[in-house]
Amino acid sequence: MRQSVNVNNENGLHLVPCSRIAQRAARFQCDVQIHKENRSVDAKSILDLMTLNAEHGTTLILEARGDGAAEAILEIVRLFESNFQEDDDQST
Amino acid sequence: MKLSDIVVSEAIVTGLRADSKEAAIRIMVASLKDAGSVAPDDEESIVAAILKREELGSTGIGNGVAVPHTKHPSVDKLIASVALSNEGVDFASLDGENVHILFLLVSPPDRPGDHLRGLENISRHLRNQNFCNFLKQSTTKEEVIELLKEADNNQLE
Repeated sequence: MRQSVNVNNENGLHLVPCSRIAQRAARFQCDVQIHKENRSVDAKSILDLMTLNAEHGTTLILEARGDGAAEAILEIVRLFESNFQEDDDQST
Repeated sequence: MKLSDIVVSEAIVTGLRADSKEAAIRIMVASLKDAGSVAPDDEESIVAAILKREELGSTGIGNGVAVPHTKHPSVDKLIASVALSNEGVDFASLDGENVHILFLLVSPPDRPGDHLRGLENISRHLRNQNFCNFLKQSTTKEEVIELLKEADNNQLE
């Protein structure tokens, strides 16, 4: 299962968003990957996510396979849509 | 962007002895000050900003690594210091393990792209187990500087 998401928060996928994605993805048994152009990384790894260098305005593809894939995608999409619940741009 | 461009050589700390997260951060910012990359008047404010950032969630991201950081108007480009601890520092890391490798970053507030590229660069190298192992074994600044150069040149694969 795949779905595209946009990075809308001003600072891009810095450490706070990457931590939140990884922690959320780790709750699920399924394999979760995030693709950017021709690269893909393990969404359960903060280090992997940070290597995406996904700035504001980037489009990414979420892909999940296995148990709970649909729910995992839904929850991670919600994180993106909430801009990772960042209060302000100080939270780099 | 290369590691050796952002890491201030004179601010590298090997054999870090710190009994808390705050102590480690203070030592690393002081090393940037001693290297002349941070003005003495800004030291306390940078430490406070980094500690405030830690309150949002630890930058101890697991596997013995922490990346404490902040934006600060006193710097005009991304700067970093590296510290290595044999015994490890309790950083309230996500995986509960002590940290042995610390990269501390200070970036200009108006350049979020530079901060992201710095994180990307550091993360890419930290995924390389050879890089982490060699870093942990380094006991002098010179060894760390050499290792950063080798990493920049992809000589550690």
